Amino acid sequence: MLLHWNGLGWWRWCLVATTAAVACFLLLPIVFIAALSFGSSQWLIFPPPDWTLRWYQELLADPRWLESAWTSLKIALVVSALSVFVGTIAAFGLVRGAFPARNALKAFFLTPMILPVVVLAVALYAFFLRIGLDGTITGFVVAHLVVALPYSILAIGGALEGFDKSIEDAAILCGAAPLEAALRVTVPAIANGLFSAAVFSFLASWDEVVVAIFMASPTLQTLPVKIWATLRQDLTPVVAAASTILIVFTLALMLVVALVRKVAKST
Amino acid sequence: MTPFLEIAGLRREYGSFVAVNNVNLTIHKGEFMTFLGPSGSGKSTTLYAIAGLDTPTRGDLRIEGASILDTPPHLRNIGMVFQRYTLFPHLTVAQNVAFPLKVRRLAASVIDERVTRMLSLVRLDGFAHRKPAQLSGGQQQRVALARALVYEPPVLLMDEPLAALDKKLREEIQFEIRRIHQETGVTILYVTHDQEEALRLSDRIAVFSKGVIDQVGTGPELYASPATRFVAEFIGDSDFIPCTVSAHKQGKATVVVGGTVVPGVPLHGDGGGSATELMLRPERISLCRHKPDDVAALPATIANITFLGSHVNVATVTSGGGPIGVRLPFGHQEISGLSRGEIVWLSFDPANARVFR
Amino acid sequence: MRSADMGLVARPARAVRTLRLSPFTLTIPASALLIIFFTIPVLVLLLRSVLEPEPGLGNYAALLGSTTYLRIFSNTFIVSAVVTLVTLAIGFPVAWTLALLPPFAGQLVFGIILLSMWTNLLVRTYAWMVLLQRTGIINKTLMGLGLISEPLPLVNNLTGVTIGMTYIMLPFVILPLYGVVRKIDGSILQAAALCGATRFQALRLVFLPLVQPGLVAGGLMVFVMSLGYFITPALLGGTANMMLAELITQFVQSLVNWGMGGAAALVLLTVTLALYALQLRLFGTAGLGGR
Repeated sequence: MLLHWNGLGWWRWCLVATTAAVACFLLLPIVFIAALSFGSSQWLIFPPPDWTLRWYQELLADPRWLESAWTSLKIALVVSALSVFVGTIAAFGLVRGAFPARNALKAFFLTPMILPVVVLAVALYAFFLRIGLDGTITGFVVAHLVVALPYSILAIGGALEGFDKSIEDAAILCGAAPLEAALRVTVPAIANGLFSAAVFSFLASWDEVVVAIFMASPTLQTLPVKIWATLRQDLTPVVAAASTILIVFTLALMLVVALVRKVAKST
Repeated sequence: MTPFLEIAGLRREYGSFVAVNNVNLTIHKGEFMTFLGPSGSGKSTTLYAIAGLDTPTRGDLRIEGASILDTPPHLRNIGMVFQRYTLFPHLTVAQNVAFPLKVRRLAASVIDERVTRMLSLVRLDGFAHRKPAQLSGGQQQRVALARALVYEPPVLLMDEPLAALDKKLREEIQFEIRRIHQETGVTILYVTHDQEEALRLSDRIAVFSKGVIDQVGTGPELYASPATRFVAEFIGDSDFIPCTVSAHKQGKATVVVGGTVVPGVPLHGDGGGSATELMLRPERISLCRHKPDDVAALPATIANITFLGSHVNVATVTSGGGPIGVRLPFGHQEISGLSRGEIVWLSFDPANARVFR
Repeated sequence: MRSADMGLVARPARAVRTLRLSPFTLTIPASALLIIFFTIPVLVLLLRSVLEPEPGLGNYAALLGSTTYLRIFSNTFIVSAVVTLVTLAIGFPVAWTLALLPPFAGQLVFGIILLSMWTNLLVRTYAWMVLLQRTGIINKTLMGLGLISEPLPLVNNLTGVTIGMTYIMLPFVILPLYGVVRKIDGSILQAAALCGATRFQALRLVFLPLVQPGLVAGGLMVFVMSLGYFITPALLGGTANMMLAELITQFVQSLVNWGMGGAAALVLLTVTLALYALQLRLFGTAGLGGR
């Protein structure tokens, strides 16, 4: 009865109250920042004395903010594409393979995800300093690829495991060479896994802060790095404006993903 | 006449486990050959070797005299229908059937014409634009069949394609398969563990047991003259009565069953030892209330009488302790008034019995 | 339509070069990438901890001998432990409720949790920086309600870090716990009721034991993530209240002391790996990590 509303009695209200409180707790800071970005107070006093678009104007007028956003976008797109490509190949190898070290290899591929990212950031920083890749786009892409790849392999590997290999065998017997069969039949069938991998990889790079701080240079900053650097100095509402844009971006992405899932389910 | 499909000395090892152990078989063109056997008997492994999806450890596979062993599976031009529905989920029915032709780079008009023809053959005209998820299991297997036949392969392999369907649907599609076989004349290799299905569909049946073929023959041949105990047990019902072989010559043995001597029983196998079992089909045993004086007969006690419509099963127990089931047609004169505990006499024609060693 | 009309028996193996790559070969690009740009750099960093400035364990002696560093370790540990306990305490009722809510309400709450989780970490941390400041809305409300006479120092200290980290970690606890609760068969608890158990007894004797694996797994994951967290503690804690990740960064960026940085990193890695080994021992396949 603990898992049915009726059996809970007055506990029901405690649970609902707690959940409502937590939901508000989770939601309010986000709403709050969005609201404050339109407030005129420089010190982010709430309620703000007046409403204004000034912070957005400052944000969009500063070329470095726009540049950092553009850098973030470029890097995230490249990382997403590479992550899906390398991840797909690796996932095929892991799922279809029967070599002895398979489970160990699987665990190895997941390690960047479980180890503290600050260690990876510092280690790569040292390495890139030595080989001259620090402060370069290539370095950024490689570093973010290491972060994003485990998600790709998980998502694509999961979709591949759920795919019946006999379908690919049937395609081979129909006359398609193994590679052709994989590309024409298996890959479209696991498209949802590829999509998940692409979105996760994109977000992993787009939102990534710690590694980015070490990969950045004064002339090469991603958006999170710009925000971080600004925050180290003061709490200017321009950051609130940038934050609100990011929140809207997140919402839009969640909607797109939900829509794609719905469309995929109905076909 | 050159044999059409030959399996020669096929052997498949998995480490120390032998799945297929020296299988030899010749299949004629246009034949419907069934591989029948329990799971693990090697029938599917043999089929997959012919498809090219599995590589045998040893042996050869030949179509019209030419070995296909080194040909990769996508070039063997063999059709296959699997047990699990293997339609391409993202393509429509028509696109599924067109796939093998697309891969062979045929002209679009040729593809369209063939696809339409195939969908007609499997009686799914009008389903061209549906997706596999919208089809029932039976319909999906029919599309799979159309897809496997659209490029007119010389050989069609079927790996227990109806196992996932319910009984009524199974019978429907069995009928369809038989009809398509007659209309197209394609050579079919069919794998199943269901002996009734095998008997219904096949021209010949190869009975697999533990990696070897125990016997190949038509249904009647396997039923009336099983070569091994396994075949006798697997196809149809059989009774086994403990007996001893007292003498044998030229394939015929004299056995002693519960004190009664029965000469002229066909003998199979050359294992040693004289203690073995006598095999009889339940409907080949005669049942009499009084002891017949012209043939050898065994006394038995009636344990149970079961009415099953067209026939009656009479379960008896012999003095040797072994149970014997007798099948009599409904209305048989000896059944009326028969009751449990009664003693009757069982007799049979030795030529209808078998002894395996 | 007889098959005799069709041409060849098997298509000739023309100049078709079938790409025969073994599955293992397919994993090589990913392995190479990870080995070159992950394993080796990390190992080099750890090596430097015993080689710089001179070979030996001097860095470790310095780390573990100084009260400053030890305080940082204990701060990290305590904050992580508090965050873990609080998120579990709050997260479990929410997960429980989520499993019971009707579809629309459930989707709404789920959506809020997802939105929170997907929103940029910096944005969320920044929000708390603003909320917790002396003139921030929380202090103003508390003072306005008459609960306090002076603004509480809620940021630039470990309190702020704890609040911020709890906020960040909550979704990571609620979602897996929700998965666990959802899988529990409701009839088990109904059977408990039929056996005469009160709600408290059913909770203590049946429900909690069933959820316990999820609680332990979630707790371990949050604890490990908190130990290595950098951004939120750095922004909400201020330099006087450093946690381990910021210490590593300081060694490397400000002080350019790779030996000490490597040593601190090794300490963090060791504890992380030990906890994951514990989780593996307890549960088999481990969960995910974070930043």
